[in-house]
Amino acid sequence: MKIVTGVIGNDIHVVANRLMDLSLNARGYEVFNLGVNTYLEEFFDAAVETGADVLLISSLNGEAEGWSREVKPLKSTYKSLDKLIMMIGGNLTVGSGNAEDIVPRYKKYGFDLVCHQVDLNTGLDMLEDYIKEHRAA
Amino acid sequence: MSQLQEEREIILGNENVDAFDFDEVREFVKHADENLFISHHFGKKEKMLVQPRGGFPTYDKQFALYEFFVDANVDVLPLTIDSNTRLNDYSTAKKMLRLSEANEVDMLNGYPLVNHGYRTTRKMMTHFNHPVSLRHGTPDARLLIEIAIASGIFEIEGGPITYLLPYSKNFPLDKAFLYWKYVERVCADYSTLNKPINRESFGPLTATLVPPSITIVIQLLEMLLSLEEGVKSFSVSFSQQGSMIQDIVTGKVTRELAKYYAGQIGCEDAEIHLVYHQWMGAFPTNRDSADQLINMSTVIASMVGADKIITKTREEAVGIPTKEANAQTVANTQYTLNILSGLPTIVDEHEEEMLTAQVHAIMEAVFNDPADTLWRKVFNCIKSGIIDVPFSPHIINHNKMITIRDAQKNIRIIDRGNVPIPDNCYAYEKSCCDLDKDTKDIVNDIIHDIGIMQ
Repeated sequence: MKIVTGVIGNDIHVVANRLMDLSLNARGYEVFNLGVNTYLEEFFDAAVETGADVLLISSLNGEAEGWSREVKPLKSTYKSLDKLIMMIGGNLTVGSGNAEDIVPRYKKYGFDLVCHQVDLNTGLDMLEDYIKEHRAA
Repeated sequence: MSQLQEEREIILGNENVDAFDFDEVREFVKHADENLFISHHFGKKEKMLVQPRGGFPTYDKQFALYEFFVDANVDVLPLTIDSNTRLNDYSTAKKMLRLSEANEVDMLNGYPLVNHGYRTTRKMMTHFNHPVSLRHGTPDARLLIEIAIASGIFEIEGGPITYLLPYSKNFPLDKAFLYWKYVERVCADYSTLNKPINRESFGPLTATLVPPSITIVIQLLEMLLSLEEGVKSFSVSFSQQGSMIQDIVTGKVTRELAKYYAGQIGCEDAEIHLVYHQWMGAFPTNRDSADQLINMSTVIASMVGADKIITKTREEAVGIPTKEANAQTVANTQYTLNILSGLPTIVDEHEEEMLTAQVHAIMEAVFNDPADTLWRKVFNCIKSGIIDVPFSPHIINHNKMITIRDAQKNIRIIDRGNVPIPDNCYAYEKSCCDLDKDTKDIVNDIIHDIGIMQ
């Protein structure tokens, strides 16, 4: 299973990104890590180039909210991304907010899985469950 | 005209520089008061020099900060540069400086030195007559250091590796080496006129589980790159790692090997100093805990025998510190240094031997690279992962080495990646850790190990 990951926007917070890379590899994914400071277009380009099954975007400084509004229109300009599983995680808002409001908002932006301040391994378990269900269906 | 002078004239012909007068600046450096040179203070060897961090956008606020520092009995003043200047974006810095001057709000996170210019800034530096250290984080610092030295700032921090790998994702590393070569040459040239200009490397790197062998190798390489251009006074540095014994061993090995490798290239005459950074990792939000941590760092710096200590403040976890909090740290650190006495000498020969062997092995691999110059050898070794900095955001970094803490909180290498750690050292490093764990547990350990001081 191929997965593209990275930190969105002008966000240089690298620690969780490295740990994510380590964890995903240990779980058997083929990981294409774009690292920090990655723009939305670069994520989609990489998904096309690698033929990724999953796109996992992360954010710590909260600027994901601004970028996410552009997910649907931008993704629709790519022809081959309909089956791409879209996941986002980290700290998904600037300032404070609660998951009950944030999760549905991000689902509307076009994400299948949304993890706001969820522990790394819990989030990756959620992804595994989602993939299992998805494949069974 | 030499090629360097031609390049300097191009750099200083920048539209943001108001008529740089080479001859006048040379005369100024030649006759500058010895107290402005940190190399002079190092030479006196009276005490561990205390240096805080700090930079404000406007001249007046910077001046006020220095007054607080001097009242707190500071030894070395800092000049921290704003992030626009660090990225060579002088026009944004200029705009933000104007806004900061017109309002009471600071629109920059440091002092935009190029926009203030050397004629103005020199007035402040000569007024306080203290040594000043330039703190920036600039990959292309050519213009910045010209203005700094012309202002009377005679210590320049940074280097092509230490100011790039922790801060940037894709600034080209080869360009950084060449830009820093210019810096070294200019510093070396001015060093012939009066006391030497001191260069300092930035040892903390990412301040996140960097093992001492990697820290020391990078310190030594930046030192050699500097000395080979003619710099005569250099500071190697590292930050508190989390275990007192590991800090003591790191300090001793760094000193010994710096002397050894300087001698290897025929630079025995260069003065080498050791600088210790108080804890650079994630800080406690509780201000009282932060004060305790800072005080502990000062004690360890004394055990290490550092020549200079760079301080943090109780407001570290909150944001840019106020001048009051910053000055308080200076006063507290001086107090602790004054009352500390009768320190024991602690030696751990086995740890020293292991660390020394690791550093020699990596250095040897660098020297064995077939490239023709040292900077190209270092460049190739970073690219191939012979030098690997944990948690660097830069695309060139290899990211294969994995480190965790052992029970004494020493940083240990459990996966060496491409770094040529000798087999016996590698076996020892791993034997210190519980390795019957899966990646999930190791990731959780790393998360815990990063936050040990919180």
